[in-house]
Amino acid sequence: MLSLDNIRKSFGPVEILKGISFTVRKGQTLGLVGENGAGKSTLMNILGGVYEPNEGQIQFNGNPYRPARVSDSIQQGIAFIHQELNLFPNLTIMENLFLNEFPRKQGLFKYFIDQKKILEQSQMLLKQVGLSVSPFTRVSDLTNGPQQLVEIAKALKGQPRLIIFDEPTTALSQAETDQLLQLIRKLKQRQVSIIFISHNLDEVKAISDTIAVIRDGSLIKVKPAAQYAKSDIIRDMVGRDLEQFFPERNCVIGKLPKLQVNDLNVDGKNQLSFEIKEREVVGVYGLVGAGRSEMARGLFGLSRVYQGSVKWNGVVYDKFKPRQWIKQGVVYLTEDRREEGILSFKSVLENVQLASLHQFVKAGFGWLDHKGILSGVKEKVKATRVKYQTLESQPVSELSGGNQQKVLLSRWLMTNPGLLMLDEPTKGIDIGAREEIYHLINRVVEQDSCVLLISSEIEELLGMCDRILVMNQGRITATFPKTDFNRSEILKYALNATKE
Amino acid sequence: MVSIKYYLSQNSIVGVCILYYVLMALVVPGFFGANNTWNLVYNFIPLLILAIGQTFVILTAGIDLSITSIVAVASVVGGYLMSADSGLFSSPLITVLVGITGMVLAGAIIGLINGIAVTRLRMPAFMVTLTSLMFFSGLAIWLTQSKSIYNLPTLLVDAPYKTLLGLPYPVYLAGLVYLVSYLILNKTLVGEWIYAVGTNVKTSWLSGVNITSTIVFVYIISGVCASLGAMIYTARLETGSPVMGQNVLLDVIGAVIIGGTSLFGGKGKLQWTAAGALLMTMLDNSLNLLGMSFFLIMIVKGAIILLTALFNQYQPKSLVHA
Amino acid sequence: MSTLPLNISRKAAEHSTLLLLILVVVLFGSLGEGFLTMRNFVNILIQVSGLTIVAAGMTLVLITAGIDLSVGSIMFLAGVVSGKLVDGGLSIWLAMPAILLVGAGMGFVNGLSIVRFRIIPFIVTLATLYMGRGLGLYISETRAVNLPDSFLAIGSLKIMGIPLPVIIMVAVLLVLHLLLTRTPFGRQLYAIGNSRVKSEKAGIRVSSLLLKVYVISGLCAAIGGFVAIAQLGAVSPSFGSQSEFTAIAAAVLGGTSLFGGRGAVFPGTFIGALLIQTIQNGLVIINADPYLYPLITASLIFFIVLIDSRHR
Repeated sequence: MLSLDNIRKSFGPVEILKGISFTVRKGQTLGLVGENGAGKSTLMNILGGVYEPNEGQIQFNGNPYRPARVSDSIQQGIAFIHQELNLFPNLTIMENLFLNEFPRKQGLFKYFIDQKKILEQSQMLLKQVGLSVSPFTRVSDLTNGPQQLVEIAKALKGQPRLIIFDEPTTALSQAETDQLLQLIRKLKQRQVSIIFISHNLDEVKAISDTIAVIRDGSLIKVKPAAQYAKSDIIRDMVGRDLEQFFPERNCVIGKLPKLQVNDLNVDGKNQLSFEIKEREVVGVYGLVGAGRSEMARGLFGLSRVYQGSVKWNGVVYDKFKPRQWIKQGVVYLTEDRREEGILSFKSVLENVQLASLHQFVKAGFGWLDHKGILSGVKEKVKATRVKYQTLESQPVSELSGGNQQKVLLSRWLMTNPGLLMLDEPTKGIDIGAREEIYHLINRVVEQDSCVLLISSEIEELLGMCDRILVMNQGRITATFPKTDFNRSEILKYALNATKE
Repeated sequence: MVSIKYYLSQNSIVGVCILYYVLMALVVPGFFGANNTWNLVYNFIPLLILAIGQTFVILTAGIDLSITSIVAVASVVGGYLMSADSGLFSSPLITVLVGITGMVLAGAIIGLINGIAVTRLRMPAFMVTLTSLMFFSGLAIWLTQSKSIYNLPTLLVDAPYKTLLGLPYPVYLAGLVYLVSYLILNKTLVGEWIYAVGTNVKTSWLSGVNITSTIVFVYIISGVCASLGAMIYTARLETGSPVMGQNVLLDVIGAVIIGGTSLFGGKGKLQWTAAGALLMTMLDNSLNLLGMSFFLIMIVKGAIILLTALFNQYQPKSLVHA
Repeated sequence: MSTLPLNISRKAAEHSTLLLLILVVVLFGSLGEGFLTMRNFVNILIQVSGLTIVAAGMTLVLITAGIDLSVGSIMFLAGVVSGKLVDGGLSIWLAMPAILLVGAGMGFVNGLSIVRFRIIPFIVTLATLYMGRGLGLYISETRAVNLPDSFLAIGSLKIMGIPLPVIIMVAVLLVLHLLLTRTPFGRQLYAIGNSRVKSEKAGIRVSSLLLKVYVISGLCAAIGGFVAIAQLGAVSPSFGSQSEFTAIAAAVLGGTSLFGGRGAVFPGTFIGALLIQTIQNGLVIINADPYLYPLITASLIFFIVLIDSRHR
């Protein structure tokens, strides 16, 4: 059905895919697994016509396949189910299914939607995906699971021969996941080929005929699912030690906890407790949707906290607001740089000064010490090595991702933080800037601060942290001190809350 | 030379203004001359003051449609406090001082109401200030039963024509408003917050910006500016009128837009607004001198708004790459 | 916490305008002699017809997350043009196409500037607001245009006992309601209002749809203007000024969101316009101080927008 032959793709000097070849037969389900950044998304984007491969051939349905845009792939019978859904919450399920090609009535009322036909077809499609709600239901009234099913129903409308599921279960409950897997089995019986990408190895094993492991842009192994033990998959995903450079810290961790989180409830279900000592870097590992960011965001006052308290520097807080935290020296570096990090068309200066302006107020009227700000900003961007052309007129959106991240780090360093919560600080950032960020973290810690480091990359956490918390489904499932660091064990607790 | 070129590329509306002035001075008889210059100044100043207030609001990605009603309320309140018919105070100086204080307070209070509705009640700025517009225009008319208030103290009525160092008083008022606004926007904490909130509310919240007080502040500023504008109108017309300033809303918003301040917030400067307001005033004045009727002038103004929007659309965003 | 009271309060919020309308009717009915009569209700319907038509067109624009500030000027321009044409000897029926052309033309200019030059609707329609009124004043030479009696005759014309303005209003409401609820065009407007980017991704031809929406809004403004002047008998130079605000208020009262993606012409906008007009009418009947009208209307609109934003 689909066969890839030696697909290579580079972005600039960085080779993301180093020659990938595999085949998916008719009615077969291929599970595709690999760590974040292994190259899965790039591969899928090539299949979807978003990127063009530098080298290699793709055959689909016996013909050469070179999609130039997304609609090409749909036309040829390949459908994508992404994590992000392209649904309109203000419309009904039925309308979402037929939005761009409503069937119409005949004759006099030919401008009208054929309600009967669209209803029948919708019911048929919903039946196929096993969604037993009225097609008249508004999508905004559905939870994530049913929304996912609507998206699949939309894909089925085009009679696809291959469906690619990209992390479809991350936002789903257990019951919804089971329903989805049931549906995939049914599709399989109808001779639809499937590529199933997931971090959840149990799901992958349960649904796939064969499993392919990708690591660092290379295909490591393709093996029938039944013969591929979970521990082997994990080992193949993680592979050998990466010779990545993580700088040493020259400091001793303090004795007493500086931050104590007590029964913090950010999802209405689970209670989280942990502590961070002076000069300690605590990592948080977990899959997307495990509740890592939610924990930090709740603590910082960005989302609702149901109950719980935080003891910081000896004072207990149970109300959280960014402005107050910043004054107490607690800051949060967001994962979403573009949406809530940078002021995109503002200068480096305006971006860096933002969180610490209150420190530069000279008496009365909120008068600012602009000289002081300028020299403070200059000092910080020098320390963080931001590369820019002008400090005061170049929009920060023109900087590279790495430099933008360093701008945001500078913003927080300006506030002299005692605790930095860093949410995926190296996401989408090149190697050089990464190393600089690691150095920066160390320097901050050496100056008596502590760090909560949230990351999807085990390597990064192993290299940088003194302790790692593992999260799964909103709970902290394990804590590893540095002496017990073990890649496979950590991954195991992240993938599955229970021991095998 | 390079720096002038740079300045004009960043502030093209200022260049357009100068160009237009020179051109009109050459082409239109009677444009360049003491009499007409006073005319220009008297029409320009209240518009400028109102547009400055509006700029504050638009910088936060809001809008204040209620300014004309504030003008009306302030005029009525000031008129009542100062009119000899009410006879509240005997000393003219005290009368005027109380009157001015009353006007400014009225503007600030309406601005405060707008700001609280937008922030605490989380209502869309457009609807909040639209209902304010309806309500307070109605209030001004109801309070006066649609009658104008006459017999204002000469101290107030003569003020627009009194000069100090050769310049009439209103010029000083406008200068003061401009200066204070400039200092607020460029030298203070709240000024930085205004730009930040307009650029990205989420980022601002994450970075500890006090969003509520920033937004309430800009609506109060807009209200106060409107009442200061009302002061000049009231003095010049020698009446407190409940329909004062009714037609000025579009000119004010037009001036801000022509200046280049973005309706999406975060982008804009006082000098742009000043140039926009000046261009509006000069358009009115010069086309009038050319014998164009005011309806043709309206058409031209509309066209200018469209053209500048089009121009701003295709302007290079930053000079760094140019 | 029990969910029942929450549910009731949400339901109440959804229908707050209708509840308020009922309340207002009951209130005026008990206060004013002659309010609760068939004749007065018909009167209210005639009075509200112009506003409803304009607000219905505005509703479509608001659903796409746009705005049309130029409707007041279009009403004026259409009124002036038709008045002048009939004055010049044209039959009033032949003037009709001219009115429609004025509305469609202005709407086309709005739509084209928005989709082709990508200027935001607020600025475009602010500019055409100026231009339309300027043009109208030019044609009318800034004097009130007195309309021939044939206009008033049309305004009071009845077909099978139903006044013509009401018939036109019902027709416009029916067409736009069907358009919004029953055609691909209408449903896609809601999608655009929700997210223009997603709509483009979903294969909707956004530009062509938006263009049509502004033309429709222009047409509605012209028709609404005609219906209104047919009752007034004259077009004053300030006719239609600030009507854009009343139209927006009617739409928003009817549950249409200023941020797009939500709204309906029927019952929504119709109820919104009806509320505004009923209050006016009731205040006249109970002989309230006429200067109080805008205060009361504005307070009610504020109150409803407040409820609406509390529940979102």
